[in-house]
Amino acid sequence: MSRFSELLDDFFYRPDEDVSGLQDFAAGSDGVLPLVPEEVPEEYLAFRLEGECYAVPIRGVREISKVPPLTEIPRAEPQLLGVMNLRGELLPVYDVKMRLRLAERAPLVAGPDAPAPPRSARILVLRTETGPAGVWVDGVVGVVKLKPSMLEAPPPGMRAGDRDCVVGMGRRGPMLYILLDAEQALAP
Amino acid sequence: MSPGSKALSEFVAEATEILDALARDLLVLDERRGHEADPDLVNGIFRAAHSLKGLSGLFGQERISRLAHGTEDLLDRLRLGKLLLDGAVLDALIEVLDAFQALLGEAARGTESEGLSARVETMAARMASMGAPAEVAEEDPLDRLELEAQVRSVFTEYEEHRLRENVRRGVALWRVRAAFDLSDFDKGLVELNARLKPLGEVISTLPSAQPGGAHGIAFDLIFGAQVDQAALETGLKGTPAELSALTVRPAAEAATSALLQAAQPSATMRSTSPRGGGKKKKRARATPAALPPEARPPLLPHVPEDTEPGPLEWPTSDAALPADAGGAPSPAHVPGPSSVPVVAYLQGAAKASPKGLSVAPALPAGAPVSPQATLTADTSLRSLTQTVRVDIGRLDGLINMVGELLLIKANLQRLAESARQDGAVALSKLFGQELARETRGLERKLEALQEGLLEARMVPVGQVFDKLARLVRRITREAGKEIELAISGGEVELDKLIVEELSDPLMHLIRNAIDHGVESPDARLASGKPRRAVVGLRAEQKGNHVVIEVSDDGAGIDEVRVREVAITRGVITFSQAQEMSRRELLNLIFQPGFSTARSVSELSGRGVGLDVVKNNLGNLSGIIDVWSERGRGTAFHLTLPVTLAIIRALLVGVSGRTYAVPLNSVLEIISVQPREIRTVERREVLDLRGQTLPFVRLARMFALPERPVSRHFVVVVGLAQERLGIAVDELHGQQDIVTKPLGGRLQSVRGISGATDLGNRRTVLVLDVAALLEEGMAVERRRA
Repeated sequence: MSRFSELLDDFFYRPDEDVSGLQDFAAGSDGVLPLVPEEVPEEYLAFRLEGECYAVPIRGVREISKVPPLTEIPRAEPQLLGVMNLRGELLPVYDVKMRLRLAERAPLVAGPDAPAPPRSARILVLRTETGPAGVWVDGVVGVVKLKPSMLEAPPPGMRAGDRDCVVGMGRRGPMLYILLDAEQALAP
Repeated sequence: MSPGSKALSEFVAEATEILDALARDLLVLDERRGHEADPDLVNGIFRAAHSLKGLSGLFGQERISRLAHGTEDLLDRLRLGKLLLDGAVLDALIEVLDAFQALLGEAARGTESEGLSARVETMAARMASMGAPAEVAEEDPLDRLELEAQVRSVFTEYEEHRLRENVRRGVALWRVRAAFDLSDFDKGLVELNARLKPLGEVISTLPSAQPGGAHGIAFDLIFGAQVDQAALETGLKGTPAELSALTVRPAAEAATSALLQAAQPSATMRSTSPRGGGKKKKRARATPAALPPEARPPLLPHVPEDTEPGPLEWPTSDAALPADAGGAPSPAHVPGPSSVPVVAYLQGAAKASPKGLSVAPALPAGAPVSPQATLTADTSLRSLTQTVRVDIGRLDGLINMVGELLLIKANLQRLAESARQDGAVALSKLFGQELARETRGLERKLEALQEGLLEARMVPVGQVFDKLARLVRRITREAGKEIELAISGGEVELDKLIVEELSDPLMHLIRNAIDHGVESPDARLASGKPRRAVVGLRAEQKGNHVVIEVSDDGAGIDEVRVREVAITRGVITFSQAQEMSRRELLNLIFQPGFSTARSVSELSGRGVGLDVVKNNLGNLSGIIDVWSERGRGTAFHLTLPVTLAIIRALLVGVSGRTYAVPLNSVLEIISVQPREIRTVERREVLDLRGQTLPFVRLARMFALPERPVSRHFVVVVGLAQERLGIAVDELHGQQDIVTKPLGGRLQSVRGISGATDLGNRRTVLVLDVAALLEEGMAVERRRA
């Protein structure tokens, strides 16, 4: 059974696959069109963290990777989960759940005692000012196009992190996306 | 570097190389200030300036080109003896060098500052007006030399000047005639030049009137000897050289002889000399066979049987030559008894008139002349070095590749091993053996490849030393001190990246030594030292490490005041200070909070940023140590690994994690029972052959879950004099690893210098031994 599900898994999701065309197609077919011409939609990558749906601008995402074995860095700050080797490149991998108060402590995902990562978990490789950084997400939802009119300011009572990592909300149909400022979320 | 411009980076790289050469030569001139300048050196500098002018013109770097042009003019006047090389000229040249460097820096950044442009203008103007022209002799001493006018006529202005100088000074002049085989005369000529060089000055190399046999070519070298005939003869033993003296008539005869020479007919024959023309001559590209038959006769119009080939000379620098465009033949005549056919070279001015003139030697037997054969080493335009400039990034890429090959090799080895041992049938066992043998072969070759690549990265540390020497000159002048810089060990080789990173820390240290370490000349005299202070810069290889020492014989560091400042600044507490040894006190100067410019220079004479120096070295896995004695001076010792690219590492296991320890800092490995660990004042130590060894448990240091073990493996690491025992749970053996630095966001991680890939996508962290030592010692200090 495991072999079959693995095959299926690969069929459903391939991180290096270019699905933007498909996404466009999907986005165009959900009835929200036609767009107001002067409104240029921006593409966001939506992902799940502890059951909530977050999104970051897709131009800040370099790639999406399955979770490789992570190597923990001794004495590092807790949100630094470890380092990963992505095709010979060494990347730090961060947890943002603590910053967003979604979790009390960072999950144990690196080192010899770590359990195998959940099947849906992924590492988003983001471009940041201080170089590429990986961010652990519980699952990737997909690419969404959000027009400026779909964006809202973050609700005042919302539990935010230490800093304002949440820059706004995006509403598209029934879905609500919490827009994340990756730079802030990864700031030390 | 300006965005994306490959051409520009090429330019910068090449110009840097030229400037380096220029700087080296200038430095030598500077060292021999007051002595007669070596004409070769001046000529070399002239050529460097000339190349720089051409290069910068090519790349549209107008300011550099303008300055180079001025410099070239000045140098041209110098080398032709129209100007004397005095202190002012030398200073100007050194200043120009600085300006070139600044200009190049701006060019690389793609900026252009007003100030520098103005500086270029003033400098160029100053150089143009510079002129204490050498006194001109009324009569030309050259007229007294018995040399055929035709020979004389082919000398370049520079050669003529050198010859004149030699005659004027009464140097014994010789014609050294040597015949070589055509196939390898370039080598022979190089060797002959090398032999002659120490004995005097080779003024000109001309093809000889005396033929060198059917397949040979003979040369006349006009040579000014610094030694007597006997010494010259001994010096040339074994070479095909024949000596004949050139007589110099006493002054009175000169006029007559000149007249006589002028009266000689000068039209008999001429082989053209390859002068002027384009930068890259394609002379002698065409072999006689390729020559259109009708092209030959007009070239050697009336070759009487009793004539010989005319002189041939190669230009040293085109700019210095009169432009003799198109290589139009100018008549020359050398009388001599010869019926052997002529060797005539024509300039291959292919562009001007390809058919008629792009011609090579008209050789009698039609002996083919290879293109190389016509190039001599000394004067060839072909570059003298067989060097290829390679971007260090490419080498890094190759080394990474080798690292990956090594991983594949390790996998192959494992496969071979398992096939050999678990092979069910004899056949598979045999196959396993075969595979194992081949893998060993692969291993050897890979090791050779890796070694070769590492060697390619190695550069002499002298590259930085040269730059520093210039800096010392400048600072010394600014600081009003008298300093002699003693450099040694410049030939010691280090990884290019390390050498690059070294220049800043070394500059800091040297600046400190001059600004603060060395006393003023008067103060030195008062304390019974020579006026001139000595600042030493010494490199020495010690096993896998290179030790660089920066020393001065100045006042030394006052540790009492170091202590006071450390206490007032809160770097240490009073009670800590009580227990610190002198050496520990001295090492406080590397503490971050300690050194701020003002307080330190007032206090002991150590300037800014020693903590920065220490950090920089730490990034190179190096360590710094200080020695100082009051009144006798200070010395900093920098211990550095030879390379960082591929290192042999010991793999250790702690709490189920694997770490790599660079083997070059591992002194030994011991096995220790828990009961052998002692505590001294609550810190753990080991007794290692009667010596107390500070001891840390890696698991505890890294806050990993400690596992109970029946015995510890203790990896004893050391850098400079520091020793530390690091306890680990397991040893996994050795492996060559390619370290990737923890760049970008991970720079601040302590105790880890990088990571490496051991295959299977497992990333293993590499311990930063220098930092761990530091930390271990800090623990010791804090607890002490």
